[in-house]
Amino acid sequence: MSSIFSDFFRVTAHGLGRTLLLTLLLVTTQAFLFGQTYDLVLKNGRVIDPANSLDQVMDVAIKDGRIAKVDKAIESGAALKYIDVRGLIVTPGLIDIHTHVFVGGKPDKFADGTFSVSADDFCPRSGVTTVVDAGTSGWKNFEVFKYNVIDRSKTRILAFLNIAGKGMSGDPDQQKIEEMNTEAAVAMAQKYPEWIVGFKIGHYEGSEWSPFDRTIDAGNRTNKPVLVECHLPQYPLAMQLQKMRKGDIITHSFEEITEREPVIDGNGNLRPYVVDANKKGVLFDVGHGGYGFWFSEAIPALREGLEPNTLGTDLHRFSINAGMKSMTNLMSKYLAMGMSLNKVLEKATVNAARAIKRPELGSLSPGNPADIAVFSLYTGDFGFTDAGGNRLKGKQKLETELTIRDGSIIWDLNGRNAKPFLN
Amino acid sequence: MKNIILFILLFSFNALLAQEYDLLLKGGHLIDPKNQLDTKMDVAVTSGKVAAVAASISPQKAKQVVDVTGLYVVPGLIDMHVHAFQGNTPDAYIADGFTSLPPDGFTFRAGVTTVVDAGSSGWQNFRQFKKQTIDKSQTRVLALINIVGKGMVSRYEEQNTDDMNPVMTAHMIKRLFPETIVGIKASHYWGDFTAVDRAVEAGNLAGVPVMVDFGEHQPPLSIESLFMEHLRPGDIYTHTFSYGPAFRETVVDESLKVKPFVFAAQKRGIVFDVGHGGGAFSWRQALPALQQGFRPNVISTDLHADSMNGGMKDMCNVLSKFMAMGMSLQEVITCSTVNPAATIRRPDLGHLSIGAEADITVLNLRKGDFGYTDVRRTLHKGAQKLETEITIRAGKVVWDLNGLSAPGWETELKKK
Repeated sequence: MSSIFSDFFRVTAHGLGRTLLLTLLLVTTQAFLFGQTYDLVLKNGRVIDPANSLDQVMDVAIKDGRIAKVDKAIESGAALKYIDVRGLIVTPGLIDIHTHVFVGGKPDKFADGTFSVSADDFCPRSGVTTVVDAGTSGWKNFEVFKYNVIDRSKTRILAFLNIAGKGMSGDPDQQKIEEMNTEAAVAMAQKYPEWIVGFKIGHYEGSEWSPFDRTIDAGNRTNKPVLVECHLPQYPLAMQLQKMRKGDIITHSFEEITEREPVIDGNGNLRPYVVDANKKGVLFDVGHGGYGFWFSEAIPALREGLEPNTLGTDLHRFSINAGMKSMTNLMSKYLAMGMSLNKVLEKATVNAARAIKRPELGSLSPGNPADIAVFSLYTGDFGFTDAGGNRLKGKQKLETELTIRDGSIIWDLNGRNAKPFLN
Repeated sequence: MKNIILFILLFSFNALLAQEYDLLLKGGHLIDPKNQLDTKMDVAVTSGKVAAVAASISPQKAKQVVDVTGLYVVPGLIDMHVHAFQGNTPDAYIADGFTSLPPDGFTFRAGVTTVVDAGSSGWQNFRQFKKQTIDKSQTRVLALINIVGKGMVSRYEEQNTDDMNPVMTAHMIKRLFPETIVGIKASHYWGDFTAVDRAVEAGNLAGVPVMVDFGEHQPPLSIESLFMEHLRPGDIYTHTFSYGPAFRETVVDESLKVKPFVFAAQKRGIVFDVGHGGGAFSWRQALPALQQGFRPNVISTDLHADSMNGGMKDMCNVLSKFMAMGMSLQEVITCSTVNPAATIRRPDLGHLSIGAEADITVLNLRKGDFGYTDVRRTLHKGAQKLETEITIRAGKVVWDLNGLSAPGWETELKKK
């Protein structure tokens, strides 16, 4: 299109005045675009948008990077481009609420280091358009994270700010209570409200409660949630859950390790204080990771009525090749555990958006950023493993066909957006 | 009673003795091109090495048995062209930069156990690359070092002929790291044949092959001259199917005919590498070439941040793409195991001979409607796609897509 106009410009420029030419161009452009209301329409997909209680075959139209319309039939002529996604599932772009993506050059460290991974390496191919970093940075190094990683990423990266000043630096400082500065953490969150969605406490080995209390205090002062990771060996789980507020998030919910009481007791029942916390509105995140997910916890929990609210992967160097693998693998694992597709999608979209108080994400409501994932659900004999290296069989698996971020296609598995090659 | 206990003890001892293998892959179809095997065979592993390959190995002889019936068992794939020197030097793109990728997230899930970094580092920063990436990766990372001492810092630094030192490059290889550095890379040079000639000079001094990316000359330099006069048999031409005639002479001409000297060059021993990348693979080169009988010697990805989410995706996708163009499974496995191993002169890799390090890949060949795209985002369809079920590196399972090597989850509850 642009070349047609530039040719036109060159040819006509000799004969016409500048103003006349510009007017002509404007008129032509508008006339040309008038018939094409949308940039892209995804046609005939099964739209599952739990936020809007939608599950039916519909078309989704995108304009200027935003959702323009979701309707039963949008004329394909109304779009510059359309893709037929018949037989596929169209959902809001997934939100992975627990990741470690503050990647950098520091060997064997999470903060600015090699133990973190790049979101773009794993997210587009898994249908994930937004990740939330789980406190890899703190108030002292969030700006390094933002400049080096967040601003360069195609994946939308949000963050829980660690109460520890340098986040998961792995330095002795990480344990120093003086570094856990509520004022400074709150100030950083207020400086970057678009990116910092809450605060995190984790990896504190002392028995003092002030780090925990300061994190909650930061949450209170900004009206933001707190993410509680484990590796808090001296804090009893009951006490953690008691201190947590409605809307605070506990992750690694189904971990079975010695340093934190598991949610299931020796008789296969949920511990009473876990039931109470669930009732109070504490949100349970999976936080799968390399070691944070055990069938021996997750399956009885599901049976006893404790569903995870969100499906955080805990993406990092040591989970990528383990039982976790990817967001879609974790979601398929929950399908294999008997959860419905709609529920799985709800947890991976709107639930995560609500937990971080970002209502413009995780739904296909018109006006929202056009973050969309298109999946195929294929059937066969599959298996899923946990941290103990044990296997659960399943019959269905989600595969990411297309991922769209702010209206741009950032993943296209089978070239659905490509023209046929004519030899 | 005593006798019974003794009997049980003796029996268990015998049972232990009998379990001579750590791991047995049972019931798979083995494709091991170097050993000319393409048939149903069991493969056993002990102490990280291939211990036995036979039509039937008794499950009683192994501590762990994995049923791979219906799947293909092949040597661990070798991706001969990647960029893995990841770091965060400001303004650097591939050498210690963000465009390079840490390999482990892309290799095992795509069946790759060995990668060759294609010139991201040079003699001046190879040791940094080794320390921060090679020594920290589970994937076996080998390297071609750049003839430019600082490697791929930026296109600008890559033009510095004062930093193309054949003697220092050869010393780095021969004296310091003969196990890890397998060759030399010349690329991105805008001038004459200087970069190539210095790389070949270093190659002669160190006794290693040279890989050339010849894509940035304006106007393009003659690839016939490159193949026939400047490179030696055994040297590698990468980005073979790239189409950008303003910068790189193409192997297929505008009337879609393979240039005759290209066949002659392959016959002479020039190794043609795919190096798919973000911009270096076009159907209009590859399809006519394959139809006319010109096939790549080596299939590789040119993995980096700008290729990972485009038409390339991963090694299995690139292999599947060549199958969609008519190559057989056996041929693409040849081009990703024994051929790259021979090219980088590592006869220890790319096969499953007894005693070889147990780098093994188990593949599932899916049937369906699949699509593959080139850098112009045009589509070519295929009915098959390779998927990596299991990857084993030095005898250890490092990727297991469907938990085929795992026990049922209920065993966890029994332990309580």
